[in-house]
Amino acid sequence: MSEVRLQVQNLCKSFGITKAVQNVSFNVNKGEVHALIGENGSGKSTLTNMLTGIYTIDSGHFILDGKEIHPKNQVEANNEGVSIIVQELGTLSGLTVAENIFLGHEERFVKHGIKNTGAMNREAQQLLNKYGFNRIRAGAMVDEYNFEDRKLVEIVKATYFTPKIVVIDETTTALSQEGREELYKHMNRIREEGNTIIFISHDLPEILRLSDTITVLRDGVYIDTVKSADVTEDDLKKLMVGREVTGDYYRSDYDTKVSDEVVMSVRNVSVPGQISDISFDLHKGEILGFGGLSESGMHEIGKACFGASFNRTGSVTLADGTSIDSIPKAISHSIAYTSKDRDNESVVMNQSIGDNICLPSLDSLRSFFCFLSGSKMKKFANEHAKEMSVKMVNTNQFVSDLSGGNKQKVVLARWIGKDSDILVLDSPTRGIDIKVKQDIYQLMDRMRKQGKSIIMISEELMELIGMCDHIYIMKDGKINGELDRSPDLNENALIAKMV
Amino acid sequence: MAEQTKTGTVSREEQLKKLSKVSLVRSLLPIIGLVAVFIVFNILTGGRMIQNPSLVMSQIYVTMISATGVFFIMTMGGLDFSQGSILGMASIVVCLVSKVAPVPVAVIAGIATGAGIGAINGFFYVNRKIKSFIVTICTMFLFRGIIKYLTSNAPVGASATMILLNKDQLKLICTLVVVVLGFVAFHFTKFGIHLRAIGAGEKAAKFAGIHTDRTKFLIYVLAGAITGFAAFINVIKVGSVTASGGNQLETQILIALVLGGMPISGGAKARFLNVIVGSLLYIVLTSGLTMMGMTTQAMQLVQGVVFLIFVAIFADRESLKVIK
Repeated sequence: MSEVRLQVQNLCKSFGITKAVQNVSFNVNKGEVHALIGENGSGKSTLTNMLTGIYTIDSGHFILDGKEIHPKNQVEANNEGVSIIVQELGTLSGLTVAENIFLGHEERFVKHGIKNTGAMNREAQQLLNKYGFNRIRAGAMVDEYNFEDRKLVEIVKATYFTPKIVVIDETTTALSQEGREELYKHMNRIREEGNTIIFISHDLPEILRLSDTITVLRDGVYIDTVKSADVTEDDLKKLMVGREVTGDYYRSDYDTKVSDEVVMSVRNVSVPGQISDISFDLHKGEILGFGGLSESGMHEIGKACFGASFNRTGSVTLADGTSIDSIPKAISHSIAYTSKDRDNESVVMNQSIGDNICLPSLDSLRSFFCFLSGSKMKKFANEHAKEMSVKMVNTNQFVSDLSGGNKQKVVLARWIGKDSDILVLDSPTRGIDIKVKQDIYQLMDRMRKQGKSIIMISEELMELIGMCDHIYIMKDGKINGELDRSPDLNENALIAKMV
Repeated sequence: MAEQTKTGTVSREEQLKKLSKVSLVRSLLPIIGLVAVFIVFNILTGGRMIQNPSLVMSQIYVTMISATGVFFIMTMGGLDFSQGSILGMASIVVCLVSKVAPVPVAVIAGIATGAGIGAINGFFYVNRKIKSFIVTICTMFLFRGIIKYLTSNAPVGASATMILLNKDQLKLICTLVVVVLGFVAFHFTKFGIHLRAIGAGEKAAKFAGIHTDRTKFLIYVLAGAITGFAAFINVIKVGSVTASGGNQLETQILIALVLGGMPISGGAKARFLNVIVGSLLYIVLTSGLTMMGMTTQAMQLVQGVVFLIFVAIFADRESLKVIK
């Protein structure tokens, strides 16, 4: 029996009306990778954010090596031996790489009130080299690096002082295969040094592979702690959802012939610095996949098809010859788009669910002349929110109150309400739990059967393989390979074309 | 377990009810404030306020009309500090044109002047991507300079026919028309929803198919045009324009809207009622203080304090990032 490192005791946290964490208690041991799983809004991030001083604790205790800690901010948490790699961008723009690494610990380099930048950069560079990230320069502005490299800087920042506990909050979904390998390497090292990792991820195979122990949360309540060796993926799903997950996850057909009818043809589309000379056809009833590394330009393809790209050249034409060059034109010709950046580009955060759903369909919700009908809007919003089973009190509730999965449902409800024929879905299941993922896959399958066409852009190779009729792999802004739907297709075939 | 979930949802609904109660109190506060202030001043002035409705009302027309335009701008998350200069400039144009042309032409000329200045604001805001408060502070100074130049020898006077129009009914009807049109457009057409969506999340609004840039530009033009129309009311009231014509209108509007419960960052919580209640509250407050013999300096002090208190109450801190 290994030694207990952290005791979580009767922890509670509420945000206004939402009880994010309710009376949660469990133990975390030394020298283990302890995974924390649960659906969206189950309280994983809230719990770790309290541990690392990002949120304050309502009630309950964290006991680290027998001593109670209540950090007020991340620096204090670091001093207690706890650090975190957050889900989104955790480095600060406008500072150098070295300044980011030593943020909050600058006093080490300060003499008589003057910061010794040279010494700081030297030490940071030594750290970077030790981690094998030699190509990152300590003295450079962090803004010069892409998302991936900035995540690597965060790994250094969170682990260089050998903390007792490192929290890794859904970092892997943001990383490419290469970056993940780097992260796994350092996770292993930390564990072998006898320290602890609390690991949050939605990727169950990854969790089973990497973790020793798994704690399951559901709706802010502690469910169980299990040994990874004793459970299967289905056991975990059952624990998370609270019932058996039945039915097909992805679509199950492999012999469907895609119609020859082209609904959208993209010819020689280029966007400076993003994509160059992209051409493809989208057919009726087809799910067309785009995969690749995050920086491969695949996300820009979605924007280009929706008329949202800046400085686009080339043509996007529909079957009737309409050329799509602006968002309103795309929408009026029945094209829908969900962005990877859900909070900024898909939902209007500080607006009601109802208005969000009705926005593109306002013209059909009039009573007479140009006057809107309140009752029609309400009915429309309710009908489509229910259809997507959005978890809400009513449609007047603000979208900002919803979890990621429910926000995505609101966006999809909007486009289903608009009855769009072509759907461009960029990372439709990003950061979404299994239950909602399954809903979205089933919805896509239904729409495909209704003769709607879908462009699916995703960093998750498994869902591309599981859902698409045809997959294009992007690399450096160009199409680098294409694959047809087949039961024999595996991730390696896709990765080979990506890197 | 099932029971627990059930109690969970029940308490959730209760909490939501509590929350909606809080927001109800927030939205009722300006109305309660209006009634309270009105009663207090009537008692303090021995009923003088209620006996002189036209005196109090005469202050309100220009503020309320102009506030309608600024309300649209603030709903979509912008600000406009050039309103006073627009009013001054348009008033000069109305006066000058009224001497050579019939009244309707003068009114249209005023509206066109306001719309023109609004277009300048909108151009720099939308096409040059400069923050709205910087753009409008610049145009405020620019046109204030022109107003001072044009009135340096003598105030610019209006024609006699113009001054003869100074009737309460006319001013009241004009104000009502603007306010009713604004109200209907804001709450019963897609115009209002589009503005609120832009204020609540511009990028997402754009991806939902709203012509955000075009809308933003046209709103500045519209707000300018509305104030240009208010210039007509201003001219028939004062008869001539001096170097300080329209001075500080922007601050009056801002205070009025905030008093009316307008969230300073705009967005989905903006209600047209904010314009009406806010302007009334502002006028009752200022004329009440004047009737009680308070000096202009002391009044500015009181205005500042009241403004601060209301902003502190109504600022929606979650959505209050940088005002566009």
